[in-house]
This record gives sequence, C-alpha cells and structure tokens, in this order.
Amino acid sequence: MRARDNPFAAQCVQAIPYRLSGSTWEKLLDRLAALRCRAALVGPHGRGKTTLLEELARRLDERGLRTRRIVLREGDRRLSGAQRETLFRSLTARDVLLVDGAEQFGRLAWLEVRTRSRAAGGLVITSHRPGLLPTLYECRTTPELLAGIVADLVGREEAGRLPPAEDLLVRHGGNVRDALRDLYDFCAGITSSPAARTGSP
Amino acid sequence: MERIQIETRDGATAFAPGEVVEGTASWQLDKPARTVELRLFWYTQGKGDQDVGVVLTVPFPEPALQDRRSFHVVLPQGPYSFSGKLISLLWALEVVAEPGSRAGRIEIVVSPSRREIVLQPHFLVV
Repeated sequence: MRARDNPFAAQCVQAIPYRLSGSTWEKLLDRLAALRCRAALVGPHGRGKTTLLEELARRLDERGLRTRRIVLREGDRRLSGAQRETLFRSLTARDVLLVDGAEQFGRLAWLEVRTRSRAAGGLVITSHRPGLLPTLYECRTTPELLAGIVADLVGREEAGRLPPAEDLLVRHGGNVRDALRDLYDFCAGITSSPAARTGSP
Repeated sequence: MERIQIETRDGATAFAPGEVVEGTASWQLDKPARTVELRLFWYTQGKGDQDVGVVLTVPFPEPALQDRRSFHVVLPQGPYSFSGKLISLLWALEVVAEPGSRAGRIEIVVSPSRREIVLQPHFLVV
C-alpha cells in the first residue's frame, strides 16, 4: 500500500478529534474556569494529551482567548529564547499559555513559567505525572477507545479484519499512538500481523 | 454556499518538471475576502510528521465575491511526486481566501514521466 493511501498515516490519525471519557467539553471548560484556568492534562505517553490540548486550544480561541503554545521535547530542561518570546511577550489577561510536555522542565524553569504566567489569563500544561498543577483531566486509553478510532479511520467492516484492539493495546502498554503506528506498518505490509507477534489467537 | 474551484487547461493534472501550468481559479463567496491567492506546494503523507513546502504564491488583487481569474505558473525542477510504503510526496494547487481559510485545491503530479514514481523495496541478499 502506498503511504498516501494508508488509513493510519499521521495526517489521518491527527484529524481524529479527542474523545472525552466520562466528561463533556462543557464540564471540562467549567472545571477549567473553576481552577482559574491553571491546570494540567495528565497521562503517560501516547494517551492523547497533545490531541486534547490542541482541541482545548481551539475551543479557548473560539471563546475569544488567545492561546500561546510551546512544545517541550525529551531533555528540554529549560526554555529557549524563542519559547520565552512565544510565552511571555506582551502578556495580557486574554492570553492562555499552553505548555506541552511540562514534565521536562527543571525546577528553575518551571518556577519561571509559574511566576511569569501570572500576567496571563491561564496556564494549561500536559504532563506525564500529576502534581505540577491541579489535574483538569486524566488521559486514559481503553480497547474500546482504540477500536473506535480504528473504526473511524477504516470503517467498521475493515476494522474487523485488523488485529484486535485489546491485543494491540496490551502489546504497546496502553500507548494508542504506538498501536496506530503498528497498524500503519501492518497495512503497509512492512510487518506481519501485530496480533500474531503478541501470541494472541 | 461557498465554492472555490481550480481548473487547469484541458483538465491536465500531470506535468513534467519545469513545465507551465495554466488554468483558471473561480470562486463564489458568502463573505468578502481580503485576499485570495493561488499556492503551489508539495506535501508529504505517511507514517511520520507531515512536511510542506510552498513553492510559490500568486495573489489575485481585489477579489470580488464572485470572480474568475486565470493563472500561469512554472513548475520547479523538483521534488518529484513519489510514493513508497513509508512516505508519499504529493503536489497540489490551492486557492485560499482569507479570512476564514476558505480553500479549494487540486492534486497534480510532477515527474519526468508525468506519473507518480512508485518506490519499490529492494532486498539485499548476502
């Protein structure tokens, strides 16, 4: 299969909106307001924190706020000059700072962000661990969630021909992003059945 | 209902590098556009993050709500349109009306053979 035809291509996966479990967008935004717009989206790798943060940004923008987003990569212990500029330049109460991957910060950098963000209307972070800010939402994955995403990407009938979501999620320790990459390889013919490699029937 | 369309001369969608693409862009908008422009760009699709290269933009001055403009662009020498298992590179022409990011696009192929180059895996046998 050509990459352009692969239903699990990154662009197709990224187009799938985040699915809230046990909550609604209205409740989530109410809770964010109750937390004075300072909160964290928490969960391990591949649970959809970034997707949720992007969706949240879109909804905050729709409400007339201005979101400023930076993404921290593995090992980014401090802010770069460009990231400082993005976050802190001419801050007003209409600005909401979004930091993706805040668990990467060293203590001093996190202190700087917390202190300087007081001039903003909000600070929302994603983090692998709770405790940096009050948890707004804990991102979790289930086989049903993965099965739903797969069905959205390929249709229910085709999804039935793919390895079971339960097996994929077990193989990838709950990481939906890696499970979807595995399905990309499977559809591309790069690997044999991921389910077969788990030893599942 | 808003509509933005691109038509190439004779409906051609496959071209050689360096070739001229001529056509018309037409649109019918509900709200006025501050700018309308044609963009020629390539983009990737596949397992990794998307990469995009905008090669040129052609602004259409003073766009009306309902309008039709001709265009004439020279394609670059590359990259060629290709597809493998991990990545595809595609070319497109897009007309974008702002504000609102209202857009219409057509996909084109750019390669010496005027066909997408399909990469085949090669196996090294020792």
